[in-house]
Amino acid sequence: MKIAQRKPSASTWTSISGKKAPTTANIMRTVLLTVISLIIIAPVVWFVLSSFKDLTELSARPPQILPKVWATSNYTQAFKTYNYMRYFMNSVIVTSVATALTLLINSMAAYAFAKYNFRGRDGFFVLTLAMIMIPLQVILIPIYLVVSSMGLVNTYWGMIIPAAATPTGVFIIRQYMLSIPDELIESARIDGAGEFRIFARIVLPLARPALAVVAIFSILWRWNDFIWPLLIAQDEKLYTLPVALALLNGQLFVPENIVLAMSVMSIIPVLFMFVFMQRQIIQGIAQTGLK
Amino acid sequence: MPYVFILPNMAIFGTFIIYPALRGFWISFQESSDGRNFKYVGTANFKAILTDPTIASVARNTATYVISYVIISTVLALTLSIIVNQQTFLKGMYRAILFLPVMLSPVVVGLIWNQVLDRKVGPLNQLLQALGGGSPGWLVEPKLGMIAVIFVGVWVHIGFYSIILLAGLQGIDKSVLEAAAMDGATRWQSTRLIILPLLKPTTLIIVILSTIHGFQSFDFIYTLTGGGPLGATTLIVQYIYDRAFQTPIQYGLGSAAGVILFLIIFAFTALNFLVGRKKEAV
Repeated sequence: MKIAQRKPSASTWTSISGKKAPTTANIMRTVLLTVISLIIIAPVVWFVLSSFKDLTELSARPPQILPKVWATSNYTQAFKTYNYMRYFMNSVIVTSVATALTLLINSMAAYAFAKYNFRGRDGFFVLTLAMIMIPLQVILIPIYLVVSSMGLVNTYWGMIIPAAATPTGVFIIRQYMLSIPDELIESARIDGAGEFRIFARIVLPLARPALAVVAIFSILWRWNDFIWPLLIAQDEKLYTLPVALALLNGQLFVPENIVLAMSVMSIIPVLFMFVFMQRQIIQGIAQTGLK
Repeated sequence: MPYVFILPNMAIFGTFIIYPALRGFWISFQESSDGRNFKYVGTANFKAILTDPTIASVARNTATYVISYVIISTVLALTLSIIVNQQTFLKGMYRAILFLPVMLSPVVVGLIWNQVLDRKVGPLNQLLQALGGGSPGWLVEPKLGMIAVIFVGVWVHIGFYSIILLAGLQGIDKSVLEAAAMDGATRWQSTRLIILPLLKPTTLIIVILSTIHGFQSFDFIYTLTGGGPLGATTLIVQYIYDRAFQTPIQYGLGSAAGVILFLIIFAFTALNFLVGRKKEAV
């Protein structure tokens, strides 16, 4: 209250960046943002706390905020009795192999679009961008029939390959590669370097920032992806984390407390990435408008 | 040589997007319940979509969801981004919190709100009771189910739209606002008369993007309500999914629904390109 009673500075735009006493508007804004932050965080915190409750406590009325006894056994059981490690490894395999593949083939295509003149270049590039217009949800049924006729249902490759070519990845890397000077590539060519060598040794290292952005997004997409692995992984042994959580939830042989513990563990890697890569993620989204 | 570089990417596009898209278009004029035997049925699937009462309810649900989701998301994201942009105290922290749900797996988001909205043991109803309210069956009653799904949809994505708007806000020349303030404009006047008009192209993009996302919604709903109660939150994507994996399996009908969804999303994506280009030109 003390702060509010100070002489309020004039409500101008310059006062916002200056370090003057907080105005009523500033306080109201901070309070509002705090309330909204609570609406966002409270459910997540509740969820994390619930993952430490045993089944009796989970169905206790009224529900308690803190677990009476911290049931860390929810977590140990997820490993011991249930297949958490399996789902986790499936997610790791699909995410890492798919991201590596995406980086490789997207950057190859991006390089061709950015640094070569060839017949049909613009046509192919427009075609690549046009792929954004056909989201997976639209072709769910035919793509499932195609993948299943190729025998890729219930395989890692079936989860990895079809979504590896991303139009947005090609676009981001190509835009960045445009800024690499042609002279650099020319002089390497004069020195007798082969095309793949130039690509691998000169172009890729220079395009590292763009590759990093695409890698971050690819990891995010793949780790959280649900609908695609849901189509492909029909055998429980191949479930990625989201598929496992969605399908085990509500099934009698996996108790609720275990699903909660598994869920909490599944979001930790992504949260870590967010903490350390926040700026790249937010900038990437602001610049490209993609999710 | 360049063809070798684009080959892997293009081969995947051809095999897993272009070919399925064409095949889907063709299947939408056929019917099959096993994926092997197809029977040509002409436009019967599209006619069924226009007349079938089950599909009509899916269409109604999708329309209700998308319209509410787009309006609420846009207004809220606009408000939040302007507020966050003016904030100096802990601005980065608020921005990060706002963005947090975007990072979460939608499947987990569904599970989180499943806990929070539980009729009997959920903390929300506990809070409502403490405040003297009843204990509504958020995930049990059809109308409330839709409200819950819309709310959670906004909760997940609001940070995403706010970040894009924040970038738009940072592009606004500060000297214009300073000049306005010097001329005695209040903050509200500056917001209404300068910021909102300048933010119009970005806002339009948010409207378009949220419409596209709205039509594509599936994953968090799958774990939140599973399309229930009584089909009240079954949207078009789940309908398509169910036609392939739930009895009665009807690949043709599902593909036809896919074609219609494609036309809608195509129109909005094209619009997004046009607006985006115009915005760059300005």
